[in-house]
Amino acid sequence: MNMAPPNLTSAATAQAPEAVAPPAAHADTIQKFLATELAKQRRERIANRAMAISFGLFVLLVWAIATEGGFVHALIIPSPFDTVEATIRLMRSNILWPNVWVTLQEIFWAFLLGLGSGCLLGVGVAMFAGVRATLYPYLVAIQAPPKIVLAPIFVTWFGFDMASKIAIGVVMSFFPMFLNTLTGLTSVDPNAIKLMKSLTAGRWKTFRYLLLPNALPIMMAGVKLCWTLAVLGVIVGEFVGASAGIGYLIYAMNFQLDIAGVFSLIILLSLFTLFVYQFIEWLEGRIIFWKQL
Amino acid sequence: MPTGLIEGSSLSKVYATATGPLVALSEVSFQVEEGEFISLVGPSGCGKSTLLSILGGLENQTEGVLLLSDKEHDGPRREIGMMFQTSVLFPWRTVRQNVELPGIILGLDRRQQAEEAERLLDMVGLNGFGDRYPAELSGGMRQRVALARLLAHDPKVLLMDEPFGALDEFTRETMNLELLRIWEKTGKTVVFVTHNIGEAVFLSDRIFVMTPRPGRLEGIVEVDLPRPRKAEIMRDPRYSELVFDIRGMLGVDH
Repeated sequence: MNMAPPNLTSAATAQAPEAVAPPAAHADTIQKFLATELAKQRRERIANRAMAISFGLFVLLVWAIATEGGFVHALIIPSPFDTVEATIRLMRSNILWPNVWVTLQEIFWAFLLGLGSGCLLGVGVAMFAGVRATLYPYLVAIQAPPKIVLAPIFVTWFGFDMASKIAIGVVMSFFPMFLNTLTGLTSVDPNAIKLMKSLTAGRWKTFRYLLLPNALPIMMAGVKLCWTLAVLGVIVGEFVGASAGIGYLIYAMNFQLDIAGVFSLIILLSLFTLFVYQFIEWLEGRIIFWKQL
Repeated sequence: MPTGLIEGSSLSKVYATATGPLVALSEVSFQVEEGEFISLVGPSGCGKSTLLSILGGLENQTEGVLLLSDKEHDGPRREIGMMFQTSVLFPWRTVRQNVELPGIILGLDRRQQAEEAERLLDMVGLNGFGDRYPAELSGGMRQRVALARLLAHDPKVLLMDEPFGALDEFTRETMNLELLRIWEKTGKTVVFVTHNIGEAVFLSDRIFVMTPRPGRLEGIVEVDLPRPRKAEIMRDPRYSELVFDIRGMLGVDH
């Protein structure tokens, strides 16, 4: 205690990392050390990427040898070359794009409605005791059975068009969004609540300035789950009963033993889902920037 | 005898728990004068945090009367500011935005609050850190920001719940000196919860010693050390005497 300076401005600045200037005599050594450290990190990054790429190429090679060498029948697994050929054939034909368009619309609406209803109900259950008491038991109960079982009924109810697929997508994607919103809004530092209370903040201000931003990291994890499940629900819906869409096309081509076509559709669908997923992750980094500090 | 700024008489608090009623505070009576520095000292479970919550209007007493400026006090008020053991800074707001938060919540003038935030950051020694985020600061610096935020809406009474309890010994002592300097400059009334007896003696005008059997005010110790106080005051034999008196009251020495 006797060493503590009475004027604390200097003590404060000394704590700041960048305020500590390296002594001139050591500047060179530090510079060199940093340079080697950076080079090491770069080498590691390149090595990691090389390993990942090599593994992918290896799998591709095994796939090519197994199929082209006649170890696996083409009706079970088509060769990579056949798959590429089928992809080009599909893209040039007039059957792919109309079906893609249908599925895209279905996924869009399923994702949007699942996201929206999940957020809304999550906020309602978290913020209003009445809503919580009334709805929470049912919202949890409907989560228990696998929702896929609803697919045939939804087709009966909503028909073979887009509505039934959207409905299945919503039912599947709603719950993770709901649960993550609820969890996010209720996992708060109790002291932060006390602070807001002591500042006479009401329900709305507490939500706006504390609960919502505090919930965003967990909610964004929900958005990613919501996206994957919306796609899953729509495709399953198309399997069950549809007259158009990627799921329908996969089902039909499988029936016609066009396995190469099925493979190329699966790959296209995977790439699309992954691309949007990456976009959501990028968005996540923007929205909850403070997690990366 | 003049009535104090805060006056509690026979305050009791009972919580209903699954295993029956839990008495957190029993028959606590006291007065706090304007501008006084009071510490609540005692082991965990002695009800000092409960008492602070009641003083802050976050909870209500089960029995007894609590007056603030001669008026009944039973809810949060602008005149009272609270600070906690954790800094409770919002990580998505910059340091400056965190200090401006009370003004926003209370709907105060934005321009004037922005100037105030700048002045306060200067006062707690964080000049130039306004645009940083809390994650970029050390624990001590975060408590400095919390201190600036505590003062932002100019409350009359500062309620501090072990504000430096999570800091290392050196930082804590630095913060104590800082707090005294600010208190002397602003003339606020402070109620400071701690389980560190030395800290309480160093800071306070009077110390409320509390014991957990259950939640009783064992006694009030007048700290007659001269002000302004610097670290050297700890060499004063009177300082050690007071510390040992309080230890005795708490039954630490056997």
